[in-house]
Amino acid sequence: MEKEQLKQQLKKQLVEFLNLTNTKPEDIADDQPLFGDGLGLDSIDSIEMIVLLSREYGITIQDPKEGRKVLVDINTMADYIEKHRTK
Amino acid sequence: MLYIHQHTCISPQQTFNDIQLESLRESVDNKLKAFEPAYEGIPQGILRRMGKAVRMGVGAAIPILKNTPAIDGIIIGTANGGLEDCIKFLNQIIDYEEGLLTPGNFVQSTPNAIAAQLGLMTKNKSYNITHVHRGLAFETALIDAAMMAKENPGKNYLLGAVDEISSYNFNIDYLDGWYKKEPVSNKDLYGSQTPASIAGEGASMFLVNSNPQGASAFVKGIKTIHSQDEEFIIQEFKKFIQSHFPANQKPDILLTGENGDSRLLKYYSAVELILSGTNVLRYKHMCGEYPTTSSFACWLSCRLLEQQQIPGHMNKKIADNLPVKSIVIYNNYKGLQHSLAILSLP
Repeated sequence: MEKEQLKQQLKKQLVEFLNLTNTKPEDIADDQPLFGDGLGLDSIDSIEMIVLLSREYGITIQDPKEGRKVLVDINTMADYIEKHRTK
Repeated sequence: MLYIHQHTCISPQQTFNDIQLESLRESVDNKLKAFEPAYEGIPQGILRRMGKAVRMGVGAAIPILKNTPAIDGIIIGTANGGLEDCIKFLNQIIDYEEGLLTPGNFVQSTPNAIAAQLGLMTKNKSYNITHVHRGLAFETALIDAAMMAKENPGKNYLLGAVDEISSYNFNIDYLDGWYKKEPVSNKDLYGSQTPASIAGEGASMFLVNSNPQGASAFVKGIKTIHSQDEEFIIQEFKKFIQSHFPANQKPDILLTGENGDSRLLKYYSAVELILSGTNVLRYKHMCGEYPTTSSFACWLSCRLLEQQQIPGHMNKKIADNLPVKSIVIYNNYKGLQHSLAILSLP
């Protein structure tokens, strides 16, 4: 899968998994921070995203420090998925 | 016993914000689904995670919480809580072979999620409890609130009840014969001669305390009966009515939970006979059948006492004209859980 295609898929999955009813996938910028002032996600969302990575891409993140580096924005997530996906 | 000062309701009818009870919103596929408002006051980040039951409960409570900064307890009745989310969570366990599960559905699925969410949102660390006695969940919450108010004069309590239509409980109750097999509109509900009813949902919230000043209504008495013994139930009805109304007195209105189920008519007829000569109104064509409909009846009663206007579609038997000073509510859940409550002008 092309990187751009992966990013678009990831945005759709975030909207669906996190029930972001007022956000469209195309509204999310590749470098928009997922937490804080960006998309405004919180700690429960981070667990939802870890489950998403496991179910959809076969990626297990066990080290919280690693999670903090991955779950920054769409770019960092897509980079990590490309390198570590098992499905 | 208990004074009601504020009341809000989210139901299948237009009962929130711009209240219009004369026009009746119609059921679809034997379901009366809640007419939900825009939910101003709930942060988006919290709202998007809420299941319908939590959303309705919190949404109905917010206006009361805004008007009353000091709440000394949150007391909620619900038979099922957020059952739709609970089933999603249980299905995930199967779908993902007991692997990694998402927390959102789990957090929203417990019956006490409504009271808990209200406590969290308002940083309220006082008494916080949820009663889950199926068809008597609201009544049990009301009895709890009355005891708390009696023990703690001057304290304010948020009392309420919530239940939602979930595909799970609708299907189970449908298979068990509690929802009608043939299509029936809520507008023709009482003309139906068959067993079962139509499904409903909603949330009603009340600010209650022991202070009569400025109150909308007074809860004079409440009685719950868990029995299928018809003779015993009728005797209990008689005792309760006689203990609150001497021989020469009667309530102005009997508001019943008649629901179009031919099997349960005998109970409603018995209460109507005990209170013969009293005006009879019905409410389940407005909200459908669910375990905590008596909270909707309580909200309607507050409204009737305040407004002194009865929507025409509620009438079953009108013998006398207004004013309405006292209302007896009788509800019956599945022919097993019965409740009587008396509301009057304060």
